[in-house]
Amino acid sequence: MTNDELFAVVKKHPVAVGCGLLSLALAVAIYFRSDAIPAAVQELEAKSTEADRYATNIKNAARLKEQLDTLVAANKEIDGRLVHVSAQGTNSQFFYKLESESGVRLINFQQTTQSAAKNAAFVPVGFTVTAQGDLPQLLAFLGMLENGTHYARVMNASCTLIGPKRDAPLTLTLTLELLGQP
Amino acid sequence: MLSLKKKSEAAAAPQVPAWHPNFRNYEKLPDIKVVRTAFFINGGAIFVALALLTYLGTHEWQLHALNSQIAFRQRDIDQYKKESERDVALFKKFQAEEARIKEVDAFVKSKPSVSELLIHLAKTLPPGIAIDSLDLRDAGLTMRFSARGTPDVASGLATAYRDQLAADPQMARFDEVKFTNTPTKNPTTGRIVVEFFLHLKGAKK
Repeated sequence: MTNDELFAVVKKHPVAVGCGLLSLALAVAIYFRSDAIPAAVQELEAKSTEADRYATNIKNAARLKEQLDTLVAANKEIDGRLVHVSAQGTNSQFFYKLESESGVRLINFQQTTQSAAKNAAFVPVGFTVTAQGDLPQLLAFLGMLENGTHYARVMNASCTLIGPKRDAPLTLTLTLELLGQP
Repeated sequence: MLSLKKKSEAAAAPQVPAWHPNFRNYEKLPDIKVVRTAFFINGGAIFVALALLTYLGTHEWQLHALNSQIAFRQRDIDQYKKESERDVALFKKFQAEEARIKEVDAFVKSKPSVSELLIHLAKTLPPGIAIDSLDLRDAGLTMRFSARGTPDVASGLATAYRDQLAADPQMARFDEVKFTNTPTKNPTTGRIVVEFFLHLKGAKK
């Protein structure tokens, strides 16, 4: 088809040719814009998730400050109840104080060292203690030790009667740990 | 269509010699149908263009609506982000403080309380039985005691005491109570000496 013939066709059907060209342009536009909606939907989902996350964070943190203050106060109290590995004088003083308050007789007292677990905030400080006394005295000693100033756990305990008589004193041997700081 | 139809009419004409030359130019003859073919061509072209335009318009309108929503959510993000980040930082501090408290709690609860155990054993000790020694280790508690009476009575007391310990809900930390040896008579005291082992739950046997 020559150019003259082409112009003739255009002149003969101007509306049809115009609409055809417009349709072509629209089809091209539709093709190139076809990805826009899925991308926008994806972006909207991402933004919605992010906004919802922030909103949830704010909602959940309504009383966080008060709760944090409570925990900080509790931890300060915990810090005050910890022993220190290097403070052997103070540590032995604690046991001698228990001895005088409970009435038992400390036969053996020794501080052993423990290695702290990785990433642990505390280190257990080990002790070996042997005490002698009657049952009420030993129970008072144990009670003050387990529910007293420091956090304690008894790893091994042995309680035996000395001699065949029932009214004879008892010997209590403890391997225990007090919660401490390095 | 027009040209084809005209050509076919021409082709359908009788194959007899024309009595005069045919000077008609079928291409240039006017369309004399009731509804002109150009109407259908133009109508079809306009319909297709309008359909595509409508589709694109709807598409763009949807995109505009989505972009509006995106902008709206972006405003939310801008509004909440700082406060949320502050809260997250606060929560991290909370977790660190909480971890310390949990560690202390785990430390304290990891072993049974010996004082409570001794008091409970003393309170629940049946008549005719006297504890000689207690030995608490990682695996459990070894309890040595003397039972009063003749060997058969003393053995019955020991068995009843074992059943009592096994059924005691406050001794639930121990999952098994068993004799470690055969009850024997102590020649000095004349009593029957019995030894129990109370296995701690979860400890190696």
